[in-house]
Amino acid sequence: MTTHIKRTISRLVLIAVTISASTVLVGCLNEDPRDRISADEAYGTADKLLLNTVGTLYNYIGGNADSQGLQGTVRGVYDFNTFTTDEAMIPTRGGDWYDGGFWQSLYKHSWTASDNALYNTWNYLYKVVMMCDQSEKILNERRALLTDAQLNEALAEVRGLRAMYFFYLMDMYGRIPLVTDATTPVDSIRQSERSETFRYIYNELESVAPSLPDVHSNLQNDYYGRFTRPVAYFLLAKLALNAEVYADDDWTDGVRPDGRTIMLDVDGQTMNAWKACQAWCDKITAEGYELESNYAANFAVHNETSRENIFIIPMDKYLYANQFLYLFRSRHYNHGAAIGQDSENGSCATISTVRTYGYGTDSVDKRYAINFYSDTLRVDGKIVKLDDGTPLVYMPLAVKLDLSGDAYEKTAGARMSKYEIDRKAYSDGKLQSNDIVLFRYADVLLMKAEAKVRNGEDGSAELNAVRSRVGMSPRPATLKTILDERLLELMWEGWRRNDLVRFGLFNKAYDQRTPLDNEQTGYTTVFPIPEDAIYHNANLKQNKGYSD
Amino acid sequence: MNKNAIITLTLAALPLCATAQHIKYTPATSVLADTIAGRNGSVDVIGEGRMNKGLVINSLDAIAGQAAGVVTTGDNRMAMINSVRVRGTTSLTGGNDPLVIIDGVYSDIATLSTIYPADIESFAILKNAAETAPYGSRGASGVIQVTTKRGRAGKFSISYDGNIGFETVYKKIDMLDRNAYLATAEALGRYATDGGYNTDFQDAITRTGFVTNHHVAFSGGTDEQNYRASIGVMNHNAPLRNDSYNNFAAKVDLMQMAFDNHLTIDFGVFGSSQSNNNVFNLQELLYSAATLNPTFPNHMNAAGGWDKNATASQINPPGALLGKKNHNRNQNFGSHIRLKADLGHGLTAQAFGAYTYNSNENAKSAPTWVWAQGQAWRGEMKQETWLGNLSLNYHKRWAARHDINVTALTEYEATKQRGFWTSVKGFTTNALGYDNLTGAATVPYGLTGSGYDNPKLLSFMLGAEYSLLNRYTLNVNARADGSSMVGKDNRWGFFPSVSLSWDVMKEPFMKRQTVFSRLILRTGYGLTGNLGAISSYNSLNMLLPDGAIPWNGSTAVTYSTKHNVNPDLKWETRGTFNIGADMGFWHDRLIVTAEYYYSRTWDMLYEYDVPVPPFTYDKLLANLGKMSNKGLEIGASVTPVQQRDMELNVSMNMSFQKNKLISLSGNYNGENLTAADITSIGSLNGAGFHGGNNNIVYQIVGQPLGVFYLPHCTGLTKNADGTYSYAIADLDNNGRVNIEDGGDRYIAGQAMPKMFLGTNISFRYKDFDITLQVNGAFGHKIYNGTALTYMNMGAFPDYNVMKDAPKARIYDQTATDYWLEKGDYLNFDYLTIGWNVPISKTARYISSLRLSASVNNLATITSYDGLTPIINSSVVDNTLGIDDKRSYPPYRTFSIGVSIGF
Repeated sequence: MTTHIKRTISRLVLIAVTISASTVLVGCLNEDPRDRISADEAYGTADKLLLNTVGTLYNYIGGNADSQGLQGTVRGVYDFNTFTTDEAMIPTRGGDWYDGGFWQSLYKHSWTASDNALYNTWNYLYKVVMMCDQSEKILNERRALLTDAQLNEALAEVRGLRAMYFFYLMDMYGRIPLVTDATTPVDSIRQSERSETFRYIYNELESVAPSLPDVHSNLQNDYYGRFTRPVAYFLLAKLALNAEVYADDDWTDGVRPDGRTIMLDVDGQTMNAWKACQAWCDKITAEGYELESNYAANFAVHNETSRENIFIIPMDKYLYANQFLYLFRSRHYNHGAAIGQDSENGSCATISTVRTYGYGTDSVDKRYAINFYSDTLRVDGKIVKLDDGTPLVYMPLAVKLDLSGDAYEKTAGARMSKYEIDRKAYSDGKLQSNDIVLFRYADVLLMKAEAKVRNGEDGSAELNAVRSRVGMSPRPATLKTILDERLLELMWEGWRRNDLVRFGLFNKAYDQRTPLDNEQTGYTTVFPIPEDAIYHNANLKQNKGYSD
Repeated sequence: MNKNAIITLTLAALPLCATAQHIKYTPATSVLADTIAGRNGSVDVIGEGRMNKGLVINSLDAIAGQAAGVVTTGDNRMAMINSVRVRGTTSLTGGNDPLVIIDGVYSDIATLSTIYPADIESFAILKNAAETAPYGSRGASGVIQVTTKRGRAGKFSISYDGNIGFETVYKKIDMLDRNAYLATAEALGRYATDGGYNTDFQDAITRTGFVTNHHVAFSGGTDEQNYRASIGVMNHNAPLRNDSYNNFAAKVDLMQMAFDNHLTIDFGVFGSSQSNNNVFNLQELLYSAATLNPTFPNHMNAAGGWDKNATASQINPPGALLGKKNHNRNQNFGSHIRLKADLGHGLTAQAFGAYTYNSNENAKSAPTWVWAQGQAWRGEMKQETWLGNLSLNYHKRWAARHDINVTALTEYEATKQRGFWTSVKGFTTNALGYDNLTGAATVPYGLTGSGYDNPKLLSFMLGAEYSLLNRYTLNVNARADGSSMVGKDNRWGFFPSVSLSWDVMKEPFMKRQTVFSRLILRTGYGLTGNLGAISSYNSLNMLLPDGAIPWNGSTAVTYSTKHNVNPDLKWETRGTFNIGADMGFWHDRLIVTAEYYYSRTWDMLYEYDVPVPPFTYDKLLANLGKMSNKGLEIGASVTPVQQRDMELNVSMNMSFQKNKLISLSGNYNGENLTAADITSIGSLNGAGFHGGNNNIVYQIVGQPLGVFYLPHCTGLTKNADGTYSYAIADLDNNGRVNIEDGGDRYIAGQAMPKMFLGTNISFRYKDFDITLQVNGAFGHKIYNGTALTYMNMGAFPDYNVMKDAPKARIYDQTATDYWLEKGDYLNFDYLTIGWNVPISKTARYISSLRLSASVNNLATITSYDGLTPIINSSVVDNTLGIDDKRSYPPYRTFSIGVSIGF
């Protein structure tokens, strides 16, 4: 009997030992991350806090994947503002560039709410908005680490950037939700009317501008690539210039508010939109920007010294991952081979564009040769040959939307030049060192000229300053000459859709395009809210004219 | 009571015990005997006799087609098996690979592929929850227990197994040759470059493959102490050039008893080194070989580069592509020790410890003629795992009718993973490859990095089995797993299971009948957990490097979270119910087993689409959805002839599977989140297919995973210029054809087979035997994207086309159901003829000698039009169900083998 009990006890002891040993091990389930850092580490000092709240936002101005970045990449903001217009297109070239009809749909305006790139672009823009919200929240939570001046400047920069992203969102999608708090729950997200968003962005930029550093950020100084005061002024001028569009809540009813009656504030003074635009332009001039004597210098491999560029995406093939695909995807295959790089033989100028440049006439605009590769191509002085031994000749007037089977299938169209080719580029020519120009001073002069004309004043001085820089003869400033000048000067810079919408031409017939059946209402002047965005948030309402 | 009996019974109950994986079975040689042993309980055990013959160079090949519900996919017996699915796909994001346990050590399919089939005693395949539940989270997708051979009491023995084989490609795609290519271009009035050659690039990238395989094992010992040691080398040059595999493995196992046999010590060491030279990008190589202008030469030009067809931007000269390297080196070391103490009175204690080390090195390079500046990559992942467990087992039998067996177990596993990778570019020479990275001019930001993680898993388990009258058995199990990777509040998962079996034959009323020789009914239900989708730190709000920016005059790296953080991550759970029967008739001349299962996965981990705003990123890893799987598995084995000199066995297994994605929505933080009902999984690649509406295979809520969702083609329409296009139906009758998702598309079939079949016929006459294995899959479809691409005259002459294309005059590459075909097939996997050479009993050194000759991949019966219907039809990834210019050229293997026992 006793041995029995003893055995039972020894068994119990054994079990107890097993269990207690196991209990000790429970503590061993804690993680010990070594290849990433905690919030306290990332935001623990003033320097780190600024770097990881403000600095981190600059990783997203450029991009290295489809639909990411404001420029340089494909199927994103830039493409939706360029290939949807009379400026340029990517024609279908046989087996190349059909891509499910995507590029054709841009030119024809037959995009739909289910377009994937449109959804990815929405997600990209709002991703940065939400990161700004997050940065603002963290800066406020850890404000004790910063001096008042530091905090003020950092918050201004974050809010300024956020306002810029809202600007792109409003311009593309019309009615958008203004989400300015990182902790907003899904069901309290509502779209604002476009005019409300417009006012919000305008006021936000105006109120942060004085706190932003007064620095030319295109230069390689401490603020290289950053959202400084002149950048805010540029956006304010852009907003004022487009006030008739942005203040219009129903863009399908054929009526727009009059810019002369839209009153905006500039430094405490109230004035109409055209005057306000001019005022912001003048403030930029006062910052010391001027036209470079050499137009092409703004787009050179080393364009960091430009006196004209205002806001750029810093590019350095050795340091940053941001890509620049536009030269690569435009030039012919043999063109790429001739410069030792690769190519995709895609985008080209439309016929109406090259006609505007006077192509085929006696007086060709001086910028034509800078902005395009046209006719017989020479690289390093030598004629580039096609595989059949004949010279590669780009045919600017042979362009049509579907070139498949055409004799000029592979060679139709004037190709993008503008940016100097970085012969030492990486990634087959996708990684160049030219900074990508987002905002520049020539645009400021043209904005001012246009604001003046729209306000019944004479804008010839500004218009002709831009023209004389490239040695072109003066023209009287009219809406027509200004719109043409914007094409001549700002070709390949991503502003054409914005311009055409403002001039009321976006939904009209142009180049080889005939409008869609019901396009006269103007519903295509904004893109549809992406179907997937609505699917995930039923509060979002589709824009007028687009079926859900 | 007899101690041996206790141990045997303990082992029989061992689905209970988490690591001591010895399913009871007696080594046997005949197919039938294995089947009998294997059906003891519902665990399917594949012993040596049932393993595949023919040329088996990967241990998983040994079970292909042998077990119902187990599907292995690889590129036709290449050294690296891509995946194994047990009862299909049960999770969306990860953890669908079954758990592999090798001699009690948790392992994986890659490691198993380095073990020699000749070293394996048996595979046990655990599918039902009651069997896998003891493994908790790890066993969620089934368990493959591998028992390697041990030394046996008896005299010292040496065995040698060797094979040698040749592999030849027997089918390629019929493309235009030089003359037809030039003639077609001329007839169309299109300019085509004449490079002056007539090259069949498909031939140029292939060769006669060669396999050699040698394996030697030594063993000996007594009942109290024995050992086995083995060493093997394999070399495989596959039929695609630059595609080769080498494996070297060595293994030693020792067993020693002590203290009057109360303590048994098992010790094992295993090491392997595998070196794989893979094709850099199979699709790029095969697409290029098929469509490059056939007048181009297959050699370099005078300048030391390759002539590229400038107008065909999506392809490259195959010779240049073969200059790309993609090499993998995989080194494994593992050791384990098990102490088993018999404490008397039915009590057994066991301690087990294992350490494994795995190093996986990947090195790649792309020469300057493929990438303008040349590029090279190096990367390494090292993993160390410590595993320890303690278990106690109590077994008691009384009154000759009650039998109880209780096991308690605790287990801890810690893994340390360290990774390092770099990529450089800017080479002026191709001679260095990846062997001297300083030959490159730049090391771009973001392409060099390292990582570290250290996940841990702690488990407790209690299991009990009670058997009454040897007839009624109840098995109850409860396991709790705690993982460091799960959100803090959801760390522990609880996974119970219960099963019942009834051996009807033991009932008195069965005594009189003579039809049944066995009849066992069984059923069970259990829960398993799955964390396959979660990686370390997923639930933590940590910051990672985000990118380099100019900052205050220099370059700085910033940090951000880079994903939406979900602190509430928890275990994905799956419940499985099964019911089945094992039946033997006429002294087991016919054996039939049948099993039905139904499983449901909930709290399914998935990267859900979430709205931006308010989320920052558009994906959130969360536990929301539901999925179900059900199926029927039937195995039959019949021995129509069984005589001294002659025996014929036919065995067959069929598994029917049905999967359904029930829901992808649920509640997250009080908000109802939904993921898209229709999500594309796979699309077509190649010229003109970038983006657009080229999605083919989808994941659609309410449907099986992987369905074809396509526009309907009503036929070819003749265009004004005499060419043809695919006519697309306006399915929603809205007067407009819209081939976007949600537009004029319909569900046109499923990518995963509804039924799998494995058949083995073996016949022995005296010392000769012949075995034929036939596997098949039915009920699924394949999208022939290869034909869609190669029949499109719109791509000609930039890209070569198929012989029939110029006549068909299709100028269209819109993806419709026109090229969706039935995927059913029957594949004659191998035929082996063997001769067991009679050895005189008095022979001094040789105890056995077997010679064999095999043909693998004999023939395929199918209505599918493409190269082969054996593509990926089981793993949910972007290749599922789509034959898109990447099918490895089908090849046949002829081999001879010899096995000698000394």
